[in-house]
Amino acid sequence: MIKFLGCLSFLCGVLIVGTHILTLDRIRANQDEILRQSLAQLLPGMQRQIVYTVAPSGDIAVLHAEPAGAKRIFAGFDANNRFLGLVLEASERGYADVISAMYAYSPETKLITGFTVVEMRETPGLGNKIGADPDFLQNFKALDTTHPIKAVKHGAKQNPWEIDGISGATISSRAVGRMLAASIQEMAPIIDRHKARLESGTE
Amino acid sequence: MSGSNNPFLNGLWRQNPTFVQILGMCPTLAITNSVSNAVAMGLATAFVLTISNGLISAIRNHVPKQVRIATYIAIIATAVTITDYLVKAISINVYRALGPFIPLIVANCLILERAEAFAAKKPVIPSILDGAGMGLGFAFGLSCLGTVREVLGAGTFLGIHLFGPNFEPWVLFLLPPGGFIALAIWLLLFASFRERNRNLLQIQPVEQKS
Repeated sequence: MIKFLGCLSFLCGVLIVGTHILTLDRIRANQDEILRQSLAQLLPGMQRQIVYTVAPSGDIAVLHAEPAGAKRIFAGFDANNRFLGLVLEASERGYADVISAMYAYSPETKLITGFTVVEMRETPGLGNKIGADPDFLQNFKALDTTHPIKAVKHGAKQNPWEIDGISGATISSRAVGRMLAASIQEMAPIIDRHKARLESGTE
Repeated sequence: MSGSNNPFLNGLWRQNPTFVQILGMCPTLAITNSVSNAVAMGLATAFVLTISNGLISAIRNHVPKQVRIATYIAIIATAVTITDYLVKAISINVYRALGPFIPLIVANCLILERAEAFAAKKPVIPSILDGAGMGLGFAFGLSCLGTVREVLGAGTFLGIHLFGPNFEPWVLFLLPPGGFIALAIWLLLFASFRERNRNLLQIQPVEQKS
């Protein structure tokens, strides 16, 4: 019996790893496509982008090669090379798995101006509304980041730094609040320090 | 249990998982609020069911009885993971719509039931046919439900508006209660249809005798 279970696990493992290796390139290409779509959605009119990576010291550098898990900052510019805003990445444990998202941030007004979910496995029909529900996404038209961001119960939003949650998806809504709060807390000082360089459009 | 010898048609109609066996109700109710979701989920389930039935049937003579359920689950989970990767690689838009649903296929009792009731006893080819038939029957059931719910709940079919701007959508049908109501209507229709068929079959021999 043990021998059988061992063989079975080996067989399953080989099948999964084989599929993973075969589909890896296509999946990478598709993920790049999602990234492009997300950026276009968050910064409408964007024609050119510069990608920076953040070193643990807080310094930023223009990204040339594939990143090794480093935090990225995307600076977007329109056709006239005018600065449109920054796009940052955030992730947080949701209800089912880690939710990864991207959001647009304006260093001038210190507002979050857009939010889009890149990948999630939240409950269909409830938690996955964080990616599509128009009322929920309305929160991120102009979300104040000068106070700690917090997700509140549906209908209880009073302040510009609060996120009006989705009823029935409390855990997912709160995860979005936490991910943005943590990301802003970490990134805002770095962005402030390098604001001129990020907005200049020069590498 | 089955009157038909063709395992493919058996699953598609006579033993339809949704309307006759009433299996896999969780995805049936959860994912049928639009036709495209229903079709995609149905096809993904059919794919998993075909692979898992084939694999389980191929190793059926080597599986120790005590660990057969664990064996089936391991194989089903493998098939689901493979499907997950394939969908991710084939179409990113389908994956974005379907991504959260795919892991739920593991918990669909229809797949385990077919493994235990059919694939564990029958040769590979009929098992694959059974998997494909049951899977497509399931997809058919989901699409029936999805059609009713999308047409009544949103006034659209596959995203195409059907009734013009004055139509006030019956949003209840997109919400969970609508799923139960639509399922009840379909089950009623199917049951009355089968009842009528059975009556016809019972009456005919009597008529021949007299």
